[in-house]
Amino acid sequence: MSEPIIQCRDVSHSYSGKLALKQVSFEIFAGEPIGLVGPNGAGKTTLLSVLCGFLKPSAGIVSIFGYKPGDSNLCGKISALPQDARFDPVFTIGEQLAFLACLQGFDVEQAWQEAGRVLDAVALKESLHSILDTLSHGMAKRVAIAQALIGSPELILLDEPTAGLDPVNTRNIRSIIMEQAKHSTFVISSHDLAELGRVCQKVLLLENGVMSPMQHNVAEADGNTGFFTLQMETCPADKLIKELNQLNGVIKVSNPQKNEFLVEYLPEQAPQIDIEILTCLAKHHWSYRQLIRGKSLEEKLFFSH
Amino acid sequence: MLANFIYQNLLICQFELKRLFATRKGWLYLATYLVVWYFILFYPIRYAANLLDEHRSTAHAGSFFEFLGFGSLLDWSIPAFGVYWHFALIFFPMMSVVIAADQTCSDRVRGTLRFLALRVSRDGLFFGRYISFMVIQFLLILLTLLATLLLVVFRDSSLLLEAFNNAASILINLFLVLLPFTAMMAGLSATVKSARQATVWAVLIWSFLAGIISALSSYLPILGKLKILIPGYQLSGLAQLSEWETLQLAYIPVLQAVILLIIGRWIMQRQAL
Repeated sequence: MSEPIIQCRDVSHSYSGKLALKQVSFEIFAGEPIGLVGPNGAGKTTLLSVLCGFLKPSAGIVSIFGYKPGDSNLCGKISALPQDARFDPVFTIGEQLAFLACLQGFDVEQAWQEAGRVLDAVALKESLHSILDTLSHGMAKRVAIAQALIGSPELILLDEPTAGLDPVNTRNIRSIIMEQAKHSTFVISSHDLAELGRVCQKVLLLENGVMSPMQHNVAEADGNTGFFTLQMETCPADKLIKELNQLNGVIKVSNPQKNEFLVEYLPEQAPQIDIEILTCLAKHHWSYRQLIRGKSLEEKLFFSH
Repeated sequence: MLANFIYQNLLICQFELKRLFATRKGWLYLATYLVVWYFILFYPIRYAANLLDEHRSTAHAGSFFEFLGFGSLLDWSIPAFGVYWHFALIFFPMMSVVIAADQTCSDRVRGTLRFLALRVSRDGLFFGRYISFMVIQFLLILLTLLATLLLVVFRDSSLLLEAFNNAASILINLFLVLLPFTAMMAGLSATVKSARQATVWAVLIWSFLAGIISALSSYLPILGKLKILIPGYQLSGLAQLSEWETLQLAYIPVLQAVILLIIGRWIMQRQAL
């Protein structure tokens, strides 16, 4: 097995005596994007700041590609979208991106080309000569994402990349991540579980500064049972649950939210349960919105226990 | 590694120079600076230099200026530079405290420093900004010295070589004088949230440090030697010296700058970005 690109061992960090991270330990290997989720105040931003070298941990060992965060050997290998970081309003966006590219080792001409490329990737090429004050919040966010793409680093840490973006741009950012993920490993912190579920195959859960001991695999079945999440148009919930429970191989049907049903079943007994569910719905003329294999990420992370 | 460090320092320096010389905000600062120095040069310096020129040959001139505490003005071969030197010893340290106050603080509060910290080490950032501000101040001093030189040569072109000599001695000395002030502001800027806070803290630390050392030295006189650590400690001594003699005290600002940079770097290494 290859070496992990991120290794954290017993990492703790406190603000004025209050522990924000409590002996966090985990490893991340190069590959598919990894999500970092947790409620507000769980320590996600603190953890990403420690990984980027913006914060020195109070205790523990952090290693990125074998170096301490902030080591000059990591220049060009790691990049990040820090939360709420903004560019200098005095210079144009292009000047600042080109300057960052120069610091990464590009010559001036290449740096301007790279600035144009990353701005093009976030659909903001026309803002090359604009200053920050003329951009909206969402555009400024996309510029900040653009700087994280300079030089196609091996590891990109994104803190809430889609917060404050409209649906079109959220989709653009998702496409950029999927495209760039062929060359870079992404660690994405977000509250948007639906978005994370689309992009990330694995998820780390952080709660009250404590890292969940297991990495959650979004598509993976829980043990021997499988799940389907069914989202319905308005329908008689009790009757639907009763009908679905009668299907062969179904263990349990629950109704976690209005018009949303979670079907737990035995895959060995009912390999084509999805077809049976749809047949059942058609038979009773009930309209459905979505049938998703597995649990929603929200369900998997926060309501499974 | 060292080559990369130096290269990144050069890039940071270049970018900061661009901030002063190629942005609207920079031009505004520059215009203000030039207007202030226009008035200093054309009124106090020119008139004082004329006065000295007229009276330096008279028998009582020396004792008159000695009485006022400006006897050393007569030691300068070109009076205009003597007057400039006295003005500069007050003006530039104050200017340094103000313009070097924002070496990293506003960038840190805005988050811009995070973008940079992903590409440059904290040492690179700290020393890069410090060097940038020293270069900027060097250029600003050079600008006013050139204006003074023109003023002198315009009156008497035979003084050109002597004027260059005087200007060079002042340029080097003022650069050295500003080293610890800029280093002090680098350290403060690394820890506070705004340039104004850095300036306030600089004034407080400066005053309290002097007061505390004076109080301690009244009990234990040897502690009075600690005053050497206060930026500007040598300024009153420098005012009594002229031309290249002023380098006699050069070790003091260099020593202060080294100590303050070590403290500033320590702060920068531990500061959350």
